[in-house]
Amino acid sequence: MSALQQLQQQMLQAVMGGATQAHMIEVRGDVVADAQSRLDIYRHGYRVRLRDALANEFVGLQSIAGRRFRALLDAYIDTHPSEHYNIRWYGSRLATFLDNTHRQTPQLAEMARLDWAISTAFDAANETHLSAGELAAVPPHAWADLRLSLLRDLQVLPCTCNVDAFRRAADNGSERPHLRRYAAPRHMLVWRLDTQVHYRRLEEDEWQVLSAAQHGAPFAQLCATLAARHGETVALPRMVALLQAWLSAGLVHGLGTAA
Amino acid sequence: MHRSSSTSPLGRGTGSPTNRPMTAMRPDALPYLGYGLGLRVEYYEALLASPPQVQWLEVVSENYMVDGGLPLTWLERFRERFPLVMHGVSMSIGSTDPLDQDYLARLAALAQRIEPAWVSDHLCWTGVQGVNLHDLMPLPYTEEALDHVVSRVKHVQDVLKRRILLENVSSYVSFAQSQLTEWEFIAEVAERSDCLILLDINNVHVSATNHGFSSSDYLRGIPVSRVQQFHLAGYEQGERLIIDTHDAPVSNAVWALYVEAVRRFGRVSTMIERDDHFPPWADLLAELDHARALAEPLLRDAA
Repeated sequence: MSALQQLQQQMLQAVMGGATQAHMIEVRGDVVADAQSRLDIYRHGYRVRLRDALANEFVGLQSIAGRRFRALLDAYIDTHPSEHYNIRWYGSRLATFLDNTHRQTPQLAEMARLDWAISTAFDAANETHLSAGELAAVPPHAWADLRLSLLRDLQVLPCTCNVDAFRRAADNGSERPHLRRYAAPRHMLVWRLDTQVHYRRLEEDEWQVLSAAQHGAPFAQLCATLAARHGETVALPRMVALLQAWLSAGLVHGLGTAA
Repeated sequence: MHRSSSTSPLGRGTGSPTNRPMTAMRPDALPYLGYGLGLRVEYYEALLASPPQVQWLEVVSENYMVDGGLPLTWLERFRERFPLVMHGVSMSIGSTDPLDQDYLARLAALAQRIEPAWVSDHLCWTGVQGVNLHDLMPLPYTEEALDHVVSRVKHVQDVLKRRILLENVSSYVSFAQSQLTEWEFIAEVAERSDCLILLDINNVHVSATNHGFSSSDYLRGIPVSRVQQFHLAGYEQGERLIIDTHDAPVSNAVWALYVEAVRRFGRVSTMIERDDHFPPWADLLAELDHARALAEPLLRDAA
């Protein structure tokens, strides 16, 4: 190992809070400040920077965790060194960390997952979306085999409570809502239309059809899914309503047919 | 490409004061851009009005090394109005980890997309063993570190197909094994790798105060022909050391050092780099005007 490599590895350990002391890295001290207090500036800055980066991304989690927020972040920082060149990606494992460490309070991981989905949608790749006119041009005989190609970065997150309300309150600076647990798990949709990130809860039937479309099911199968749930007479108007909503939200990227 | 700035992208030799050595007039000399600001979200709206005092913008490269969305939309708007330069914080040119080729590829792609006047980063290391400290860590000023950095700068310049600028960082520690002064080290890096220098005047002052060296000695040790850009910024007085926060107005000490730097280096593209505690727009413009007011009489006298 070169002297430079050794110095950098020892410095890294010292900054991250390890047992490495200043004299081990031959840091110079003087009358202005001793070596350890010089090193402490880097050690302090490391934690503050990571904490600030997480706080920027996880505003919903800050709202839902309240006074526990800082301790959550510190526990994550203590166990998760940053591995990406951009500090903006530091929170990529926070939701999984909360899954494992806070099983009794799943709202924390769910909230972190929604915050992160919003954050990653913000600068995901640009995609074009299908217009109502383009869909209307599809000939009647082609509809049964039609496959909707949804946005690549569209995200569907399971949730057991009203995490979206916490995020909305945090974004708007409004009063923190009360936690409300759902009788059955639901799903949250996160996507970006042009430059604006959106999120909303999905109705159960919409989630089923959207999931099927994401997995490449043809249009006839989407209708069949709704028919099985609502009956034939309700299925088609419901499918039309969903399609209209998806088109206006920019969720549909393009069209394809069965292979 | 449309550029609405009032500044002509003159070559460095053109219109430069006569005290600049002829070596500055090399055919691949980079343009002189005038007085600029760091592009920050807080000032997006104000900058869209293209205030005449602001002649160019420095963008943080990593903020725009993304796949799409709002950041790149904004960047295109500013690109239509201002000359841009790219300033990175993550190249980690001094690290003993291998250079991050994915990072370099994305950096090169952004440079190709926005055609900046130049690309800069810091003379430091930001992590090792795959871990990023997200800090500008100082190097020991040794022959070993020098050889290491020089070879990496050459590689980066090959990838980017352009000379890069490296900025001096503020530091709080120095190492017993250092054989060179900081200014000898940065000068050697620039000469041996044929890169340029982004001289952060605030950082010179911060490090000089923290390590007890003379900032004037520092300036005298930097080769005139290598300095392409100045940063001006503010710092925070810590308990015993001063901390480079870039979140305060430029101090009187740094203004005085800037005057000294203009006398030595001549006409150098200058900008205020504000990273936090953002002041009202008018205050920031006033700081930029102050830089201009200090420098221009000296440059006229020297011409």
